[in-house]
Amino acid sequence: MNHRSGFGVQVLLLAALYLFLYGPILYVIYVSFQIDSIWPFPPTLTLEHHTDLWQRRDYHAALWNSVTIGFGTGLIATLFATLAAMAILKYRSPGSGLVAGLFLAPLFIAPILIGISSLMFSRTVLGMPGSIFGATLANSTYATAFALLVVLAQFARYDWRLDDAAMVFGARPWRTFWEITLPITWPAMLGAFIVSFLLAFNNLEISFYNLGATPTLPTLAWGALRHGISAELYALAAIINFAVFALFTVLYLLLRLGTIRID
Amino acid sequence: MSDCMLRLQSVTKRFGTTMAAESVSLEVGQTELFALLGPSGSGKTTLLRIIAGLDAPDEGRVLIGGRDVTRLPPYRRGIGMVFQDFLLFPHKTVAENIAFPLKMQGKSRAETADDLKWVSQLVRLTGLEERYPHELSGGQKQRVALARGLVSRPSLLLLDEPLANLDRELRKRMEVEIRRFQLELGIPFIYVTHNQEEALTMASRMAVMREGCLEQIGDKLALYHRPATAFVAAFLGSPNTFEGDVVGVEDGRAEIAWHGHRFWSRAHDGLAPGLRAVCYVKSEKIAFASSGAALAGRLRDTIFKGQYADYLVCLDDGHEITVSAAPDLCHRPGEAVGITWAADDGDAFPAVGKE
Repeated sequence: MNHRSGFGVQVLLLAALYLFLYGPILYVIYVSFQIDSIWPFPPTLTLEHHTDLWQRRDYHAALWNSVTIGFGTGLIATLFATLAAMAILKYRSPGSGLVAGLFLAPLFIAPILIGISSLMFSRTVLGMPGSIFGATLANSTYATAFALLVVLAQFARYDWRLDDAAMVFGARPWRTFWEITLPITWPAMLGAFIVSFLLAFNNLEISFYNLGATPTLPTLAWGALRHGISAELYALAAIINFAVFALFTVLYLLLRLGTIRID
Repeated sequence: MSDCMLRLQSVTKRFGTTMAAESVSLEVGQTELFALLGPSGSGKTTLLRIIAGLDAPDEGRVLIGGRDVTRLPPYRRGIGMVFQDFLLFPHKTVAENIAFPLKMQGKSRAETADDLKWVSQLVRLTGLEERYPHELSGGQKQRVALARGLVSRPSLLLLDEPLANLDRELRKRMEVEIRRFQLELGIPFIYVTHNQEEALTMASRMAVMREGCLEQIGDKLALYHRPATAFVAAFLGSPNTFEGDVVGVEDGRAEIAWHGHRFWSRAHDGLAPGLRAVCYVKSEKIAFASSGAALAGRLRDTIFKGQYADYLVCLDDGHEITVSAAPDLCHRPGEAVGITWAADDGDAFPAVGKE
């Protein structure tokens, strides 16, 4: 009896926690399909806001810019994170902790500071005006730290002595990576790519400062907010959430697949 | 050594303040199965990694077939290796695992097929080529690891605790097989283990390592029967230890006084009358004697081990001595027994670090 009621409390707690995490997001998705977005009760379904959004040309350009920044950041951050993780875990040395710490430190810097300082740095020191390229680089500083966390977590389970074995059997370092390390650990790198892609794709502060007038989805949404929350924004939020959810499902499946292959 | 295949010259390696190898020199001949034996942490795996090129020595040189390879990376040394835990590539099939060294050498498809066939027959692996490592039993993994180590016909095969993860039955079978491979191929095998049974079974010559130093190197029987250091005497076999005072030294023998008993033993450097000494006598070298026994006591227990038995003899003063002998001796617990051993079967060394 006592045991059963304990179980009921646990289920309730879990449900409450999930509601806390996902309630607002589910609400936005719900509202995006409602005619009255101010007080959407009782529900009256419509696709009107989604079709409206689709017809807004400025959102198309912004989407393309966001994808470009996300893709570029994903590639750069994954490359750097992979190299850093190998340095830290494969070639362990007394300074490995410090090396890892300095790579992870950007996690603790406010993105808005990275935005402002990277803008000032590229303007003043590099003489480079704000551009998608600059925004990609600035996002990469932040995303590399996150990507490194993902790669480190996966690489920690990799047996680096496999690399030793490959080298003894005649594989040069690059060949060793290509033949052994990569085929076993690729889910780590794909995971890092997806995480850094999403970080840059969704980023407002860093991209905003480095891009000037060039829109991305978050900067456009941010700008639109000043004229009140329009119904298209709900639709935008719903679509992005769907896309992110889909990506994370892929990520999860790949990591599951990856662990099966490593064991 | 005229047919010397591997030569280490004063190889030294430090990790921080730990000496993993301290001025190690050794030579291994063309057709030897050479065992490096030592407790864990004695530096034997480090030495193997230095030979393979996976670690670089701080000082000293490594020569393989007369060629100085000290500065060569592992992939240019042309040696084979069998790793602890096998280290098969989990994403490759058995055939791909075994063929990996050939692939790295850029061998043609026909050559690869020939070599694969040859090595699969040698290690008796035929029929498992398309399996993945996780589908294999421990013994099969071991064979794949051996096949991968041998397939490119290396000039030298290194084996790092290759049997540590196998059960006893399988280990005994593989010990015999590895000896067979070594004889058939006629290349030196360097075999690292902490298991003295393995080393004594398989090796022709061996070295005992301790804290980065070679304690003794030589024929395995010499190490077993004529240990040169107290560590080797204590490490090999299961010796009884007697710590007593040196009464006299003459002719390479020392007379030891131990708890009111006196016996002779082979004397090693540094023994002089009045000093403390530790004397090691292997348990199978002690025999029961009805008359002229050196020590008298009562049998406390018999531990049956199958091919032999350990007889625990409790001396009148309470000290216990283990005697290994044939399992069918009809001694009963509590029975009075006398034990003795030849002077040459004891090895006495100066006692160090004790009161």
